[in-house]
Amino acid sequence: MAVGAGSIELAGLVKSFDGFVNAVDGVNITIPDKAYCCLLGPSGCGKTTILRMIAGHDDPTAGEILIGGENVVGLAPVARRTAMMFQSYALFPHLNVRDNIAFSLRVRGMSKAARHKAADAMMEKVRLSEFADRLPAQLSGGQQQRVALARAAITEPRVLLLDEPLSALDEFLRIQMRQELRSMQRDLGITFVHVTHTQLEAIALADLVVVMEKGKIRQAGAAREVYASPKDRYVAEFLGGQNVLTGQVRTVNGHHAVVAAPTGTGITVPLTPGVRVDVGDPITIAVRRDDVEIVGPGHAPDAGEKTASVSSRVTAIEYQGYFVKVMLDAGNNADFVVYVSERKFFTNPVNVGDAVLATWPVDHARILAHDH
Amino acid sequence: MNAAVRGAVAVPPVSKAVAAHAIAPRAGGRPWTFYVLSTVFVFYVLALYGPMICIYVLSFQDVRGGLVFPMRGLSLHWFVDLFTQVRTGDVKGSFERSIKLAAIVTVATVIMSFLAGWAFRRRFVGDGVVFYLMIGSLVAPGLVLSIGVGLVLHFIGVEGAWYTSAIGAQLSWTLPFGVLVMFAVMSRFDRAWEEAAYDLGATRWQTIRLVVIPILAPGLVAVALFGFTLSYDEFARTLQTAGSLNTLPLEIWTMTLNITSPSLYALGTVTTIISFVIIAICLGAIASIQKRRAVRVPAI
Amino acid sequence: MGGRGQILGWLYVSPLMLVLIPFFVAPILVVLAASFFQSDGFGGLIADPTLQNYADIFSSKLTLNLYTETIEFTILTWLFSLIIGFWVAYFLVFHIRNPLLAIGLFLLCTVPFWTSNIIRMISWIPLLGKEGLINTALLRVGVIHEPLEFLLFSGFSVVVAYVHQLTIFMVVPIFNAMARIDKRIVEAALDAGASRLDIMRMIILPLSKNGIALGSIFVVSIVMGDFFVIKVMSGGGSASVVGALYEDVGVLQYPSAAASAVVLTIVVTLLVALILRTVDIRKELTR
Repeated sequence: MAVGAGSIELAGLVKSFDGFVNAVDGVNITIPDKAYCCLLGPSGCGKTTILRMIAGHDDPTAGEILIGGENVVGLAPVARRTAMMFQSYALFPHLNVRDNIAFSLRVRGMSKAARHKAADAMMEKVRLSEFADRLPAQLSGGQQQRVALARAAITEPRVLLLDEPLSALDEFLRIQMRQELRSMQRDLGITFVHVTHTQLEAIALADLVVVMEKGKIRQAGAAREVYASPKDRYVAEFLGGQNVLTGQVRTVNGHHAVVAAPTGTGITVPLTPGVRVDVGDPITIAVRRDDVEIVGPGHAPDAGEKTASVSSRVTAIEYQGYFVKVMLDAGNNADFVVYVSERKFFTNPVNVGDAVLATWPVDHARILAHDH
Repeated sequence: MNAAVRGAVAVPPVSKAVAAHAIAPRAGGRPWTFYVLSTVFVFYVLALYGPMICIYVLSFQDVRGGLVFPMRGLSLHWFVDLFTQVRTGDVKGSFERSIKLAAIVTVATVIMSFLAGWAFRRRFVGDGVVFYLMIGSLVAPGLVLSIGVGLVLHFIGVEGAWYTSAIGAQLSWTLPFGVLVMFAVMSRFDRAWEEAAYDLGATRWQTIRLVVIPILAPGLVAVALFGFTLSYDEFARTLQTAGSLNTLPLEIWTMTLNITSPSLYALGTVTTIISFVIIAICLGAIASIQKRRAVRVPAI
Repeated sequence: MGGRGQILGWLYVSPLMLVLIPFFVAPILVVLAASFFQSDGFGGLIADPTLQNYADIFSSKLTLNLYTETIEFTILTWLFSLIIGFWVAYFLVFHIRNPLLAIGLFLLCTVPFWTSNIIRMISWIPLLGKEGLINTALLRVGVIHEPLEFLLFSGFSVVVAYVHQLTIFMVVPIFNAMARIDKRIVEAALDAGASRLDIMRMIILPLSKNGIALGSIFVVSIVMGDFFVIKVMSGGGSASVVGALYEDVGVLQYPSAAASAVVLTIVVTLLVALILRTVDIRKELTR
């Protein structure tokens, strides 16, 4: 099967800067051609290092990098047909917008007239034509970002690498520019690899979300898969949106296990098919924050409902516009957070200090891979 | 929890003395220290420029002029005297030599300082030795080095001259300054610009030519300024290495040892005008580059 | 760091070394060698090693006087240039609100550095002389009845000329060091109720220490190595170590001059090394 020109495969990729600690610790992944891929993780997890190795600005200590099926380790960036957009944009301060964009053509020896024509066409595409003669210092953050994008894209790369492109912008602009990046990617029809530490950004943009920690990939998949079905505690907690509880298995019967929770009552959780669970095993379960309902402590479950619950006390309430974040203390200081839709909350509001019951349908909880 | 913290640490109340000395924000005027310090500053600037201005003024006296005030007459007599009188010195010649020498030293300083500053961006074996040698060259008494070079030439059997040995002697003074300026300038140079150029396909030489040098241009002009003015005014190190023909500072020195007329002042005025012109050109160039790049505070 | 990087580093720094070695290292070594030779009385050197030159230096009372006088001048110059330089730098950094104005005033102070220092030195003569501007003004106002003799061709005028020339060497590094102080630290101190003295003592001075040390190195090494300011401004009344050296060279007594130069270099190196113990100069200059 022929691989797309812009597909990327990382095999056994390792990078160590000092010989002791591996910044990138054995990474294996395939990014399909023309996909929008986000590398997501906290500072120091190795995502930027991977990006730079794909770009050719750092060499791997071990492992292979294949772009379009060919091993590119050792090749200069320009030979890989990749282009990188730097976090600080790195626009040349002494060149105006047109010359910044035309730079790559100039170093290839293109004549002034030809490269200016090409740069003008690119500026049209990113709507920067009126700023052609301005210097970078005279542009706003969003405009600078578009120049950086145009400068990288004009080389017609097969892969565009973006190092935290939206971090330098303020919140409002960030959300706007997200869609520009997405439409640019569709327009150019090439693979984008975008490094970020912002979860919501990654799941908004990416076809493939790669969650990383300490140099290793924890989970890679479609945005929905990673957000709604995290594999382990780290992914669940990093993506947010999930409550993670640990406990010990008390009983196992058929399709469910009952876990001893800190508050005493057992929590029933569906077993993952094919995964064996024994009585006495330590176990981690996750339940989505928006799947949980808050009811009064004396609430009796309807006969037909199969719900699990935790009794707790409200410790804090945060208004978040279209939902209200209710933070509960579910025993031994575990964070338990419920997202209640705004209208629903205000029909039956609770106050800080109230004792409540947090309930959810049993089948909406999941067992996570347990880390040791 | 707050009550527990409050109980644990006994914060002493603010004493009257402390409160009296604490500085309160004011309605918009200046504190008294501002007026004192600005007076000090004004006196400093006056003391800095005042004496020089006296000399310039005195050089415009006419033929009756003496070495001190009061001013006698107003003419260009002493300037003419300077350049036309045949005397044991050779003002016109030494002036030409100084300019030529300074030009050579400037170009050499800019190129060598740039290269050295570039080398020092990364550590290399022995970089400490080079650094301290450079500092040593800066701090060493000029006359001692001058004598040393003279002796070296004597041992080799070569004659010193303003266009050979003096260049090296002056470079030993200008290069440390130039390299230090380059250190400051290069530390503000963002590596990302280099990487971006490399990413876009530029070769190493193209990166230096099209990105590094233009961005560092204000710094290079500053180094040129140091190179020219330090060479043009350099005296101690040039003393024993200039050979038989004098540079301007050496000429001035000879005249200083036997000051008889305001022609020395006239010489001072002329040489200072040259210096000011060079300074204005360089500072102006730097300012206009910075302005164009819309940098709010100069990067040097 | 790779071998290729090492070679490149040395390649780029080679022009600098090509200047430093023949024009700094070699002269120092040659002077050191010459200090052990003897003079043939006509400016030539007899390569007959001897310690006589050093013996002469250390046994001569003149040496002690010269060093005492030179060190006195050094200390006085250092003191005054430090006080004036510190307050000028402080004023520019902390009292001028507009950064462009601060840079402009700073440049105003440095411009004279780029003009001839000999001219700047002799420019004090029409001011300080018996018939000079200052005396004339004071006489006219009636503060004094006879011209003040000590103003010119004295130790006073030497120190004035030194301070005039060298204060800028204090202003620049101290200005640099102070400009790096985050103003928000000072604001935080004000917030906590600190007085002016507190802020000066606990924040400004410690953080300017490096700048003061750097400036001191310049001032000390220049004054200790000077021969022309003292010659002219003292009218021959005072002498300096290097001044005596200069005289020796004038009568072609190279070996004794060389020995004197070596001793001076050692003394200056010791002083500079002493100051360097208080500051990591490499970090400070390359930051």
